[in-house]
Amino acid sequence: MKFFLPFLALLSATAATAAPNGVTLNNAVFVEHVRVDAQGHRTVALDPPAVVTPGDHLVFVLTYRNGGAQPATGFGVTNPIPDAVTFESVEDPRAVVSVDHGATWGALATLTVAQPDGSRRPAVAADVTHVRWAFSQPIPAGAEGRLTFRGIVK
Amino acid sequence: MPSAYPLPLSAAARRAAKLGACALLAFAFDGAARAAGTPAGSVVRNTATATYDAPSGGETTITSNEVSLTVDEILGVTVASGDPGDVSVTPGATAQILRYTLTNIGNGSEKFSLLARSNAGGDDFDPGSAEIILDTNGNGAYDAGVDTLYVAGTNDPQLAPDASQTVFVRSVIPAGVTDGQRARVDLVATALTGSGAPGIVFTGQGQGGGNAIVGTTGGTAEDDGYYRVQQASIGFVKSAVVLDPFGHASAMPGAFITYTLAVTISGSGSIANLRIADTIPAGTTYRAGTLTLDGGALTDGVDGDAGTFTGSGIAVSLGNVPAGAQHNVTFQVKID
Repeated sequence: MKFFLPFLALLSATAATAAPNGVTLNNAVFVEHVRVDAQGHRTVALDPPAVVTPGDHLVFVLTYRNGGAQPATGFGVTNPIPDAVTFESVEDPRAVVSVDHGATWGALATLTVAQPDGSRRPAVAADVTHVRWAFSQPIPAGAEGRLTFRGIVK
Repeated sequence: MPSAYPLPLSAAARRAAKLGACALLAFAFDGAARAAGTPAGSVVRNTATATYDAPSGGETTITSNEVSLTVDEILGVTVASGDPGDVSVTPGATAQILRYTLTNIGNGSEKFSLLARSNAGGDDFDPGSAEIILDTNGNGAYDAGVDTLYVAGTNDPQLAPDASQTVFVRSVIPAGVTDGQRARVDLVATALTGSGAPGIVFTGQGQGGGNAIVGTTGGTAEDDGYYRVQQASIGFVKSAVVLDPFGHASAMPGAFITYTLAVTISGSGSIANLRIADTIPAGTTYRAGTLTLDGGALTDGVDGDAGTFTGSGIAVSLGNVPAGAQHNVTFQVKID
């Protein structure tokens, strides 16, 4: 996930949702552009969404911060996938996904989807309706971190 | 929004989650699958929620800021010839039709300008006129007087994403062309918002308020259609064999003359309603019942078969005869 580094500055410049003395959650989205130079070197850039067309890869970045004086326990973040976006991936051991609007959760490989004939097939990324991160450890006071997932514009 | 993991969701929360997910894009996106993708102008909105244990007990829920982005318009079009092969024409024919289908492969409703290029080369002759006709009634077939003439800038066809329009090119075939010659006509369609190298952005000019971006087709497309001249020609050879009463070939009274009329159709296409007729020469008399076609006997009367003796000559109707066919008609006369 080395592409996080370029937009650290961008994120800190974005005002987080205010929640005095509590936990804040800031949301940002970037468009991934792969550029290949004359030598064939690929550069992956995450750009602000100035131009977005179907098929573009998006990276959603959620930044949480515990601005309170106490550790935050039982912390979890849930993000429904926008309808015009196909979920692509989430790379975080804390993340689980749902393919049924939050009724059941788990790693994608453990989920199934009902088919018209009543049988069930293994779920694929495009079936994902929600992604969620569940923290087993408290967030210390003053700590912050980032959660990301990837999607594709339908 | 859903409650904190791993607590199971209540039915109400599940409903709320579904409603929330739908409401995010109710503005413009109806969820239907499209080859062209999300319609231009759709707004993608994303919001996340976080929950954690409240210091005073219970649970605190916070909602992130909303990020939204507008899906921009891809400018893309394809043109495909709608004819299964070359369209057969004859020299001098007017209102000869080539058919093309243009399809908006972009994700916005877009107008396209059209151009029929009949002098592109790679062919044997240039057809005249080459007017573009829009398939106004949408039946895929050219209907004279119903389908309307295209005038650039006046009735440029506007197509929704994934929608197609049939257009025709109506040409005049020059009189001097010959069998087998071909004429190529390219139909070119170009997005009116703009075209050029893929990736060019026309800021703010996309449908729905976003930008317009030239797609991989360059915002323009063309395909070619061909006319092919089919001209059949008739080769006609008449020969005679005399047989006198003594077994020789002297043309004396009482001798029989067997005439053979050999018809060969060359070129391509066919000859419609081909009819062979020959008069009985003066000084001779037709021998009843001697008329044949390709070796088979024909009766003299006007009846079901192809041949008749008219009293002054013979006639054989061959109907539509395709190029490559050969027919032989024979009959006998007796020298008076």
